[in-house]
Amino acid sequence: MEEIKTAGWLAADFFSHNYRISGSIDIRKKSLYDQLNDPTTGFVMLQDAYISPIDRPADIIATYEASYMTKSNLTLALVAQGDDALGRKQAFGSYYGTYLHRVFLTVPSIEVVGYLRLSTRVDLRRLLSLDTEDFIPILDARVCASIRPDVVFTGGGVLVNKHHIGAFCLTEEK
Amino acid sequence: MARILVIDDNADLLQMIRMLLEGRGHHQVILSAEGKEGLEKALADPPDLAIIDVMMPGMTGYEVCRRMRQEPATANIPIIILTARGQPVDRQAALEAGADDYMAKPVTMADLLERVNSLLAQKPARAPAGPRGGVIAVLSLRGGVGATTVAVNTAATFVRQAPERVCVVDLSPSSGHVALQLGLRPEPNWSALGLLSSSPNPSLMRNYLLVHPSRLYVLAAPFVPVFESGLTPQLTRMVVDMLRQSFDTVVVDLPSVLGEGVMAVLENADSICVVTTADQGSIQTTIATLQVLKAWSSRVRLALNQIVPGGAPPVDALQRVLKQSFAAVIPFDEAQGQALAQGKPLALAAPTSPLAQGVAQLTQRVTLGAA
Repeated sequence: MEEIKTAGWLAADFFSHNYRISGSIDIRKKSLYDQLNDPTTGFVMLQDAYISPIDRPADIIATYEASYMTKSNLTLALVAQGDDALGRKQAFGSYYGTYLHRVFLTVPSIEVVGYLRLSTRVDLRRLLSLDTEDFIPILDARVCASIRPDVVFTGGGVLVNKHHIGAFCLTEEK
Repeated sequence: MARILVIDDNADLLQMIRMLLEGRGHHQVILSAEGKEGLEKALADPPDLAIIDVMMPGMTGYEVCRRMRQEPATANIPIIILTARGQPVDRQAALEAGADDYMAKPVTMADLLERVNSLLAQKPARAPAGPRGGVIAVLSLRGGVGATTVAVNTAATFVRQAPERVCVVDLSPSSGHVALQLGLRPEPNWSALGLLSSSPNPSLMRNYLLVHPSRLYVLAAPFVPVFESGLTPQLTRMVVDMLRQSFDTVVVDLPSVLGEGVMAVLENADSICVVTTADQGSIQTTIATLQVLKAWSSRVRLALNQIVPGGAPPVDALQRVLKQSFAAVIPFDEAQGQALAQGKPLALAAPTSPLAQGVAQLTQRVTLGAA
């Protein structure tokens, strides 16, 4: 069991409206992006889940060996390495994604600043409505709790559930 | 060779760390896969250093760390927190729990060994636990009598003799003026302490202190007034206890209200300096204050502060009314207005000024030591 964990499990922070849930997710077969955007399952399974209220994100109020999270209720998932937030088609070395667009967006209780990597200029209608993927990757992300601006999370990548996005702002283009 | 306790629920990582510490570090390693078991091992036979994972089922690494700090046998053991939860808030939580160092996974084995050896090398320099410094509480239940000026100049007088060893605390919930009188911007201040998820530790307390160029440390009050009395009584007591572990002298400027937090400080203070002026209203309030403080009368020192120009106050008459002698009479000093405007307390800027001399007299009359 431990061998499996070190070989194919990814540590990530998941956020719902009010909670931070940390743990490891099995990514042996698919990247986190692919798992969260897989339309055939409505949940993800997290091993060794540690739960904290979003306003006290270092306070571990509960721990569970396994936790099932409903994808639709997740607002975002944060990972240390940007590549872990990208789908296979966007992986390093692929043609996909030559433009970096700096964005600011909000989901409930959280503000996110980072970069969208796209192969074209931003088409918000396509990005937020037409694309079938629910979770949008934002790279080099800085995540901040709205009610506690001093609480900041950083990661190489964050996958944001577009159905929870309130404001979506393009701040500059590179 | 040191004895190192490693607590982590990841069996592979435990074995890797064992190989590293035994093979390359030549240390003796004790392993534990559970927080509770690891804590029992630490208490039964205290190691020289502990490496603790945060995310473990049952008892988290933070809890293990806190419990170790509470036990005298393990209170001073260097602790490294090792965790996959690697955000700045997690680092803060680890330090608050009492850890000496924090490493986010994945870590290289070389980095881990370097940190271990570095902490082991520092170990003899660690300060012993327990109260050390003295606490002087400065109080006036009537506002506008210059209690903050007395507190700031008292701290400044002490810091001239012992730079780095004095801290002044402003507990006012109503935009306190200690930082203002020292020409400092009150950021950070104690409002952040109220947001901590757990008890702060003494080494972390320094993050909340301002440092004046004279090497006087300041725990400032928030610029914006806070609701109710600010810090909880429990946190107030904890903060003052921790500061007295780090400083020889802690001067606390108390708000003009007898709240629970104020009482917590008064209970534990070595000296209580009650500041009054000669006007009728202030004397009436001081009479009532002395009655309230009757149980601690041996620790109470009265300071008569002349805040307006004029002739000599009727000291003898006032002492008869108050039924207590003044420890110091602080004369009116016309330079005080400029000192306030410039943020330069007279005890530092003009130690021979009348006000500074009066405060110096007061500092000679206060008692410092275990309350």
